Amino acid sequence: MTMMPQGAGTAVRGDNRGGSTSSLYDVLELILDRGLVIDVFVRVSLVGIELVKIDARIVVASVDTYLRFAEACNRLDLEAGRKAPAQLPEVVGDMLEGGGRGKAKGALGGAIDAVKESLTGGDRDEDEDEDEDEEPEEWEEPEDEEREEEEQPVRRRRTARRAARRERE
Amino acid sequence: MAVYVYAVTRREHPCRLGGLTGVGPDAPAVRTLDSGELRAVVSDVGEAIRPKRRDIAAHQAVLDRLMADETPLPLQFGYTAPDDETVRQVLAERADGYLDALAGVQGCAEYNVKARQDEGVLLRGILEDSPRASGLNEEILAGDTDPRLPLELGQLVAAEVDRRSSNASADLIRALAPLARAYVVHPPTGEDFVNLSLLVPRDGEGAFLDAHTGLTREVDTGVRTRLTGPLPPYSFVP
Repeated sequence: MTMMPQGAGTAVRGDNRGGSTSSLYDVLELILDRGLVIDVFVRVSLVGIELVKIDARIVVASVDTYLRFAEACNRLDLEAGRKAPAQLPEVVGDMLEGGGRGKAKGALGGAIDAVKESLTGGDRDEDEDEDEDEEPEEWEEPEDEEREEEEQPVRRRRTARRAARRERE
Repeated sequence: MAVYVYAVTRREHPCRLGGLTGVGPDAPAVRTLDSGELRAVVSDVGEAIRPKRRDIAAHQAVLDRLMADETPLPLQFGYTAPDDETVRQVLAERADGYLDALAGVQGCAEYNVKARQDEGVLLRGILEDSPRASGLNEEILAGDTDPRLPLELGQLVAAEVDRRSSNASADLIRALAPLARAYVVHPPTGEDFVNLSLLVPRDGEGAFLDAHTGLTREVDTGVRTRLTGPLPPYSFVP
């Protein structure tokens, strides 16, 4: 029986008598923040690991959030006509696989992926990770992510962003 | 020498730790310390370790191994004691509390459920249900550059996303909580709208997993869940 969420690069494989397999990323906050605390003991420094605890929940009331949602809706509408019918089976597939992480970047996700990737992306030194620890509200996404999307919505979205920015200034 | 502490178990726990290496660059052996009815699982550690991700994995691997025989009390990552004696002393002083806590998690494992909404499905649903939102969306797409339009649309959609997420979260808890001995709702992070830990009796794991599978079949809401477990009961210790 497989219960591990997939799509995470780092997996912890425990003793398999119990069939226990878990994604390190998904249990990280439990290991770091929960568990028995013995106050007379000393905790080691978590510098370099601590960044995983950045709580970058995007759904907060702010102008940036609103604009992101508006853009996501605009984009959606462009794709709706030809893509909507294919949506359902896609979702089922994703769920059976445990959810295509990193695939659905949008208003709900966006910039926190940088943090996530720094966690699951192999055994690099933490100094590198700190470089990726940018503020979650960052607008610009790396080029290769933009390229995954189709040409027309991207252009429209960028234009919309620029417009929105101008208006705010 | 300082010791890194992984878990507290009953003294009877077999602690089959062979082949595991502990936290720290020296890959130390994992061993046990007994005091009264309790046992601590530890390894030697240098004074100034700077932990890395592989150390978290080592911590978790030790606890996974312990879980296979009997549910331990997992320590939070990163706790060290100055020497063996200090650990024994703590076990002796706090024996009653730890024995109670062990009884509370006995025969159980933690399962963690996180869920997020598929953004496309969610937003499409909101546009379908809200004439105001779809109206605004159409105006923007038709080329109206009034900056108030995206703001109003976004605000409306954000509120609706929040409302739907709360509902989905409540549904999830309602479906799974009755199958658990206890549950804790943690603050969700990232894109997730729920982060739920449940203490599930091992003999009820089948029913629990069936219930979870049932939930994931409900595709119309676009909710995607990720289940992790069985885990040591990190969320259910004092």
